[in-house]
Amino acid sequence: MKYIIIVGCGMAGRGLAAELSKKENVVAVDISLKKLESLGDDFNGKKIWGDALDVKVLEDAGVKDADIVFFLTGNDNINLVVAKVIKRKYGVKKVVLQVNDAMKKKIFTEEGLVIFNRTYLFVEVLKKCIL
Amino acid sequence: MYIVIAGAGKLGLVLAKKLKDDDHQICMIDKNRGVCNKLAEQFRDILIICGNAAYPDVLKEAKIEKADVCVSSTSTDEDNIIICYLAKELFGVKRTVSRVNDPKHLPLYKYMEVDNPVDSTSIVARIVEEEASFTDVMNLLSIKKGRLSIVRVDIPADSPVANKALKDITLPHNSVVVSILRGTDVIIPYGSTVILPADELIAATLIDVEKDLIKVFIGKI
Repeated sequence: MKYIIIVGCGMAGRGLAAELSKKENVVAVDISLKKLESLGDDFNGKKIWGDALDVKVLEDAGVKDADIVFFLTGNDNINLVVAKVIKRKYGVKKVVLQVNDAMKKKIFTEEGLVIFNRTYLFVEVLKKCIL
Repeated sequence: MYIVIAGAGKLGLVLAKKLKDDDHQICMIDKNRGVCNKLAEQFRDILIICGNAAYPDVLKEAKIEKADVCVSSTSTDEDNIIICYLAKELFGVKRTVSRVNDPKHLPLYKYMEVDNPVDSTSIVARIVEEEASFTDVMNLLSIKKGRLSIVRVDIPADSPVANKALKDITLPHNSVVVSILRGTDVIIPYGSTVILPADELIAATLIDVEKDLIKVFIGKI
């Protein structure tokens, strides 16, 4: 079983949390209590209410032991800053984050950071349709 | 020097004025068009860029690669960190200074190598705490992460040391009176110097004995 942290429980985060928590050990983090509650009964994991920019909140979420961390907060800069820091300081092997700005996606791309956005996803999916 | 300031809030504005008075070249960036228009009316000789400074092309427009210092004073910490990071990594700015809005976010500034994160909330809290406390003691300076402190003590009329010569007062070990401020005079004291009510003493002390020292001067804490 993998230890997975999902930061940001908007639509994408919620869907991913529900899906992954069926088989894996999932912790969901959000600054909004409402969003955490919206995870509902489908979600079978731990919820942490807090600010992702606060290192203590990340440590409470068990970032040191995480196999994968997803950043889906909808704010490019929060995603980028925290993703970079946890990779550097806690040595998380795989960090996946959403960065909508194409320029920033290019600048911050480095080994171990998987950066995606809507355009990228659309293109990848639609590319498969022509096969 | 050429200094780029991101964020034209109250802090950014005050800073720009000061730096301008010291004959530095200033560029200000703010994402609010109204704020930028006002700035343009107020300052004739600074470069004003309207845009979100957390984007590389906006920083480029500000000619940040020529800047000696990049100051980030926006009200969101993630933006400040990204601005300083881009300035440094992408444009090679040597020195980055940033306002820290929430002290809990300070570790991130350090991990992302912002040169000088200024934690204004903690600084103001410390000053307010000193102003609000009942004792007439003010910590002026902490050295070696607070192990040694320089304190100012106002001598009250009922102080146990009032009208006594310094040599007759037993100070705790590892503390010393550095000077006495009396009205407009500054006195470097000898053993024979007499302490008067309403004097302000400047003392250097190790933190462990600071309370004992204050007790000697004021009689209570």
